[in-house]
This record gives sequence, structure tokens and C-alpha cells, in this order.
Amino acid sequence: MRIPENSAARGVLVLVIGLLVAAVLQAEGLRKQAEIQPSGFQRTFALGVTRPLVGVSRTLHLTTPRHELQVALGRENEDVIDTRVHITLPPPAGPFPQPRHTGTHVPRKPLFTSAKPLRVWVAGDSLAEVPGQALERVTDPALAVVGVESRLSTGLARTDLYNWFTRIQEVPEQLKPDVVVFSFGADDAHDYMGGSHVGPFGSPSWIAEYRRRVDGVTRELNADGIYVVWLGLPIPDGPGFKKSFPVVNAILESVAKKHARHAAYVDTWHLLDDFHGRYTPYLRVHGKLTLMRLPDGVHYTAAAGDLIAAQTLQQLRSVFRF
Amino acid sequence: LLFPTVTFAVFFAIVLPVSWALMRHQRAWRVWILLASYVFYAWWDWRFIVLLAASTVVNHVLAVAIHRSRAVASRKSFLALAVAFDLGLLGYFKYANFFLSTADNLLGTSWIAHVVLPVGISFYTFMAISYVVDTYRGELVPASFARFAVFQAFFPHLVAGPIVRASELLPQLESPRDPRRVNVSRAFVLIVSGLFLKVVIANHLATHIVDDVFAAPNRHSSLEVLVGVYGYAVQIFADFCGYTNIAIGVALLLGFEFPQNFASPYTAVTLQDFWRRWHMTLSRWLRDYLYIPLGGNRKGRLMTYRNLMLTMLLGGLWHGAAWTFVVWGGIHGVVLCLERATGWQPSKWVGRLITFHVVCFAWIFFRADSFARAGDVIARLFTAWGQPSPLVTTSVVLAILVGIAGQYVRPGAVAATLRGFQRLPLPAQATAFGVSLVLINTLGPEGVAPFIYFRF
Repeated sequence: MRIPENSAARGVLVLVIGLLVAAVLQAEGLRKQAEIQPSGFQRTFALGVTRPLVGVSRTLHLTTPRHELQVALGRENEDVIDTRVHITLPPPAGPFPQPRHTGTHVPRKPLFTSAKPLRVWVAGDSLAEVPGQALERVTDPALAVVGVESRLSTGLARTDLYNWFTRIQEVPEQLKPDVVVFSFGADDAHDYMGGSHVGPFGSPSWIAEYRRRVDGVTRELNADGIYVVWLGLPIPDGPGFKKSFPVVNAILESVAKKHARHAAYVDTWHLLDDFHGRYTPYLRVHGKLTLMRLPDGVHYTAAAGDLIAAQTLQQLRSVFRF
Repeated sequence: LLFPTVTFAVFFAIVLPVSWALMRHQRAWRVWILLASYVFYAWWDWRFIVLLAASTVVNHVLAVAIHRSRAVASRKSFLALAVAFDLGLLGYFKYANFFLSTADNLLGTSWIAHVVLPVGISFYTFMAISYVVDTYRGELVPASFARFAVFQAFFPHLVAGPIVRASELLPQLESPRDPRRVNVSRAFVLIVSGLFLKVVIANHLATHIVDDVFAAPNRHSSLEVLVGVYGYAVQIFADFCGYTNIAIGVALLLGFEFPQNFASPYTAVTLQDFWRRWHMTLSRWLRDYLYIPLGGNRKGRLMTYRNLMLTMLLGGLWHGAAWTFVVWGGIHGVVLCLERATGWQPSKWVGRLITFHVVCFAWIFFRADSFARAGDVIARLFTAWGQPSPLVTTSVVLAILVGIAGQYVRPGAVAATLRGFQRLPLPAQATAFGVSLVLINTLGPEGVAPFIYFRF
């Protein structure tokens, strides 16, 4: 039966068959998208559909064209799901080492100049971008922001979505930072990490595993001589995040305290709340009411980024001279 | 629900066949398409469907009241009520914080409100205003409530236009669309070109140069800043034109014609010409419901300039609640007045070059989040030549060139592409469509960036 050129039936068929062709050719990418969804019916359903699709596509070698194109573009790992948590240093056997103060001796702060600037790498989820850009705007020649890497909806929990542990391992060699500034946790309120269940979000087992990850990253970077700044999560608008952010903040703060000589915690929650400790989209900066938060009640405006950057710099200046 | 996502693809693959299956049963079809449109809208924030529904009910009731009233005074009162309701809605949700923060900074008070901007409110409110005004002018007979509800909420245009007039869409809702007259080739070519513009061109430029340059201009060389400004000009075109192309294509597959929204704007020879080619459905809305009612060019030179400036300043403010948008509109207004005052008629290529650069200069204020940042961008254009420019890569330059060169493609070439696609057998059409989707997805950067005009 011939279907007329300008008919609705042809439109429907081209759409449906075209989407099926695309699904088969892009089966690996779809499977990754299914894997990285939050747990629930949608994920289960998506996995149920995409797993056999990948099987068919691989059997017919239909995943090859897209993979070849990805190789040509240098993005061959885009569809790979890497859930390994690269923490090679074993946890300390005893209690965490505390900063030692030997009498009145105060260690000299390392000096950085325009000839040898303090190299800062900023990384994390979408909340890392604005503070990172604000640090980039700081016009101090002794400070060099060597990169701002912000990846939407990622974190230290969902390694299947993006593996920050792998990336963090590469950075000391690649970018040679003296300081890393992390903003993680906004998208980490999942009941499972990297594909495996660790208990409900906020439960003792979840907290233990998340702390292990934050602590592991801090120790690994400290071992390479890199100072770590953990940006806390800001006070959010809306009840959902108000429950999850304090859980993450408590972990970040406690880990930073345990490594007080080589790590710091910047409290953005109280930096951005109002006089009564409540959420406010506006704050008065130099006498002027200034918008601090985007309409979603979570993300920062550039002005908020500037405040966080100033707070971060204040912390860094207590450790380094520049 | 964003167009370039798997979720939307699944949504549309369900909505389209059911829509055609129900087309002959108009009541059922209206219920189905209204349901689909409200689901589409609720995907962002379900609470705002109440706002959309309220806008539909109030505007319909008042349009009917205008139509039924004989006395001019009562017609005027109903119109005033409808326009006040629409502008009040827009004013509260879009501008409350802007005006309150401006007042607070002038008076030292603290009246700030906490209002979240509902997506698409600027678009569907303008459509509602045109509906009641056209009814008042006697150019339109109010449709049934169900038809008006579909007109206002129809998902292809709901969140970022095009701003379709009631006189364009309501007649199409009067009777079932003919399933033997669907421009399938044009629909798929529009959808694919829209996805390419958005995912490959706009997203690439945003992530590889524009966002970095506008976030910290002082960290970049003059060349990077210059390419960043050109990049933004292409990004915003590709982003918005891409969205519109997909919207028009989706509507076509459902059997509906939307008006064109872009006609190669960067080939404009003058700024007046630019506004005949850029966001055409907004330009004509501003012309018909603001500029002409203000008096247009009928009341002498000075009044014409005043009307032009007012229209462009308010047009700027329509885009966003910030003074930077007002300045953007002001730059356009001043240059439009200058063109009119001097009778500027440049040769084709000189005009194109100058117009493009005026538009690019104005975009700096549109994109920058503050005047300070816009000043930094402009200053940096002159003060950091000769520095390394790692962001100016081959792919960035190529994306800009493709974005601009694409506007010089002759209509004949587009028609030939359409004919070529039309001649293909169905399996080849479907394969070409599927392969295009995969190519676009693979070439574009990871993740789905929202469309720029969703904020407006």
C-alpha cells in the first residue's frame, strides 16, 4: 500500500520509524541515560527497554557508526559507565591527625607571586560554575584559576552519571593545582551510589559511605600537596533541599575540620541567609539590594558568586600569601 | 519538557498518532490536545497550570462580554479589565521584584517579594491580549471556550512562541485538519534544522566560548572577547530560531500552520530591516498593539521618534526584568530613529556589515548580567590584543561561520532540499530522520541546555 506524500499517516510513520532507527543507532547512549536516572519506575522501565535494544544493536554492529564518530571527536568514553571510586590511600588506622601547634611557632605561609601564582582548580556540580567564574574575575596576578569544571547533576554519589574520582585523579598531573575548590552534594541525595544501594539518603550507612568518599578525595589531594576547599551548600528555597543540604554540609564540614591544616569548609548557607536565618533571594551588598539566587531557589547569581569567592579568598589568604 | 530530549520524543510519539486518530471527533480531539498541552506545561511546575487556566477563563469571559456589549463604554471597560488583568499577571510574576528592588535601592526600603517566574507567561499573555483587543476591534468573533483554551495552551507554541494570533490559529481549530494535506517534508526538515541549530551550534558556542567570556571578560584576550560577542550573536539566533523551527515543525505534523518567526536576520541591510526578520511575531505584535495605538508615524516626526523609542524600550523590558534589557531596547530605538531621521539607505554589503555590528554591540547588554560586566566586555575589546586566545578554536569559528553563512542560503536551495526529501520513499525518509537525530546528538556537547527564550 502506498502512503501519500503529504499525509498524516506518513508523518506518524516517519516519526515513529525514525525514532526507532535513532534508538537502535544510539542504543549505548540511551542505556547510559537510563542507568543514570534516579531509582524508580522510570529507571526500571528505561533499563528494561534499553538493555535488549543494546543487545540487538551490538549484534547487528549498529552501535559502530556512532562509536566511530565519537572516536573521531575524541569522545569515545561518553557512553561508558565507570562507577569505580578511585581512593587508593587506605583510611588512617587511628584517629585523624590533628593540627599540631608547637609552642608559639607559627609556620610561614607559602608565598605566591605573579611569577609563581597560586593555581586554583574549581570543580563540581552546577553550583560550582558561578563561584568558579567569580574567582576567575579576581584581578590578582598572584592567583591563577587553571580551570572551572562544572557538570550538571553530577556529584560524588552517582559515579555512573559522571565519575569525578577518575577526573580528580588526573588533575594533579594535568593542571598542577595548589588548591582545589569543590562544590558537591546538591545532586547527591540518592539512595544508591554508583549503581549500588547504600541505604536511604541520610541513613548511617549512607553518611558513612559519603564521608568515606569526601574524606578519601581530601586525603588523596592532600597527599599530592594540594589544599582542598569544600564549598557548603547554600540555604535553599523549598522543603526538599532544606532536608538534604544540611546532611551533606555536616559531612563536608566535619571532614574539612579533620584535615584542618590542608582543607577548609566555606559556609555558604549562612553567607546567603537573612537576619532570621531564612532563605532570601536578595541581600544588601554595599547598601544595595542585590539578587543572589536564581528563580529555582538554589543556584547562584554572579553577585552571590562574588560573595562566595571573597569568602574563599579570605580562607586561602589565611593559609597562603598572595 | 524540552524539545531535544528523549522524554519529549516519547511524549510526541504518543500525542501525534492519537491526535490524528481523534481528529474527526473534534470534542475528543480538543480534550486530548488540551490534556497533552497541560501535561507538557506541568512538566516544569504543575502549580503554574492554575495560572494558565485562570488566564484562559478570564480572557475568554471578557472577550465574550466585549463581543456581546453594544455600548462603547462597557466594551471599553471590559477591554480595560482584560488588559489590566493580563498586564497585572505579567507585572506581578515578571516585574514585581524588578520594580520593588529598584524602589528599594532608591528609597532604602525592604519591600522585596519572592516571586518565581512561570515559564512562557510572556508569550501566552501577549497572545491573550491580542485575542481580546482583536475582539474589541471587531476583527474577531470569540471562539468557544474549548477552542480558545486550545489556542492559548497549544503546546508547540506555549513556552517560547511563536506568538500566534487568534486570527491565524482559531480558524484552523474550527474544523478537523485534513489528514491528506500535511506538509510532512517541511515539518521534518524544520525539526532537524532546529535541532541542529540548537544542539550543535548554540550549545557548542555557549559551552566553548560565550559563557566563559561573559562570566569573566577580564581573563580573556580581545580576540576571545570579540569572537565571544560574535559567538553570542550566532548562539542566540541558533537557540531561538532552532526552537521556533522545531515548534513550527511539530505543529505542522499535527496539521497546523504557524507563522514564520525568522527570515535570515543577519542579512539585514538596516536595523529596520533587521526587525522585519528577527522574532517577527513579536515585532508585529509590538507594531500592532503598541506602536500603532501610540500613534505610529501618523503624528509628526517627534511623536514618531517618541513612539519608536517607547516601543523598543518596552520591547527590551519584555525580554527581561533588568535595566540591561532596557538599554538593549534603547540602543535599537536610537539607531532606528537615526535611520529614519537621516533616510539611511546604504549599499547592500556596507549596510549588512554595519547593521550586524550594531546588533552585536546591543547583544552585549542583552547577555551581560550587569552594566559593570557589559562595560568590562566592551573595554576588553580594546585592551588585550596580542594575548593568547585558546578559546578561539577551529570548531568555534566554524560554528559561527555556519550560523551566519546559513542565513545566506538561497530559498531555492531550501526548496530543493524539501523536494529531495519529499521524493524519498518512506523507509528512506525515516532512516534519514533517524540518522540525523543521532548525528546531531553525537556532534552536540553533553547535556541539555535550556532554551534562552524560556526565561522571557
